[in-house]
Amino acid sequence: MIGRRTLFGAATASVALGTMLRQQFAEAAETMRAVGGFTPRGADGRLARMATLDLESQQDFTLGFRLMQSKAIRAASMEAFDKVLARKGIDPATPVTVEEMLAMVEGEPSIHIGQRTWLSNQQVTWKTLQDHFHAHADEYLSEMEAADKAGPGSLELNPQMDIPDYARHEIHIQPGGYVGDPFAGHIYHYGTNSFYISVLGHNEQDQIQKATAARFPIPEDGKVKRILDMGCGVGQMTVALKERFPDAEVWGIDVGGPMVRYSHMRDRRLGVGVNFAQRLAEDTKFPDNYFDIVISYIIHHELPAEKTRAVIAEAHRVTRPGGVYYPLDFNNGGVKSPARPMYGRWMDHRWNNEVWSLEYHSLDFTAEIAKRGFTMVKNAKAALPGFGARHAIKA
Amino acid sequence: MADPGKSRPTFAAEAIPSDIKSGVFLGNSILDNVVTCLIAMGAELWSTKRRLKVIEAVMTKTGVTPEMIEKYVPSEAETAEWEKERDRFIDLALGSLGNEGFRSVSASFPKRG
Repeated sequence: MIGRRTLFGAATASVALGTMLRQQFAEAAETMRAVGGFTPRGADGRLARMATLDLESQQDFTLGFRLMQSKAIRAASMEAFDKVLARKGIDPATPVTVEEMLAMVEGEPSIHIGQRTWLSNQQVTWKTLQDHFHAHADEYLSEMEAADKAGPGSLELNPQMDIPDYARHEIHIQPGGYVGDPFAGHIYHYGTNSFYISVLGHNEQDQIQKATAARFPIPEDGKVKRILDMGCGVGQMTVALKERFPDAEVWGIDVGGPMVRYSHMRDRRLGVGVNFAQRLAEDTKFPDNYFDIVISYIIHHELPAEKTRAVIAEAHRVTRPGGVYYPLDFNNGGVKSPARPMYGRWMDHRWNNEVWSLEYHSLDFTAEIAKRGFTMVKNAKAALPGFGARHAIKA
Repeated sequence: MADPGKSRPTFAAEAIPSDIKSGVFLGNSILDNVVTCLIAMGAELWSTKRRLKVIEAVMTKTGVTPEMIEKYVPSEAETAEWEKERDRFIDLALGSLGNEGFRSVSASFPKRG
């Protein structure tokens, strides 16, 4: 447990550090585009403003559309769904399989308009971002090259790495996915801001990751010297953890070279000092019992079931006795659900290209963790409200 | 996908592409395409409108206020020119709505030569 002194000390240090970092970051954001030939547009707190007014406005539109879609169009779509169920005499509360649900909605465009508009908006979001970064590729590559070897943190890239096929998919229909576009990190970071706003709230300042990082449990003995974030994406959670534990050695690993490269560049701008490496979560290369805390942030629904098991085993290997393992992800839905949620789950899986999400939902994720040597904390608290609470301790 | 970094390392690898463009949600792939086009058009239109707002805001700081713009009375020549431009725009953007399609794609020419 965190004591009052720990909390107070951390809070004081965090205020001073935060002020210093904000100053550093504002300065860095102002100058970074000048290096690449852009007119600097400054920063919105921690987030460098998008490089052009048009790009910013295009993203503003797709955010606005997403907000409208998630209310009005989705509601109309679901109303149409209910009418179809009523017409066919099906109880909306009865759990059904994916196949049973698909038979209900076949040839019902009034239902699918919700998903169509959502996905089209997603396509436009990604395309506008990708087009911009590709059009200015030289500048953005130069910016990353300048940061690659600079501190305060470190960056390890493994261009010879054999990237497994399961990780090559264009998750969320993001062009190139997490491994296939040199600017995957840029595109993901700016694109997902609107995901957050429409579901969990604003995240331009990493609000979600900061609040979540503050809720992650620590070992009972209070020792937090080393932390690992498995599948760190663009490193928002990893950075938030390092900000919570500034004296700890914090690592973020991800299969995507462009993702860790962007993470490192951003960490450097923020002056935080995380170590990022392009590595696999199922093969982290760290010594046994190395970490006090091992977390992951919504990666397991992007993994085949067999890889989820392998990642849990690896987490067990690198967590020290008494250390905490907290893989944050969705609650599992099971293989049967009422028709409407099952429809949403299918569409996310099949057409938003969450290729492995149905495998994840069919798993008992909590039980899989418990089977691999961890002790599960009873009545664990969700680090992110609405998500699964899997707080495990290595015996 | 374009490779923007042919001459320098990008640390990108080959991705497995999604097949989102082949999905038919609305019973007709043309309708699906039109939805995507409309959203893309909306993004472009909004970025134009938003730029105008920025221009107005900047102009205000240099002495040209939104009120001056609102109260501006175009000359007769400007009015005539702008109406011509308006009609061209409407015909281009919405004129197709009046089309009455009735021939199948395999229909032969009604009259030729």
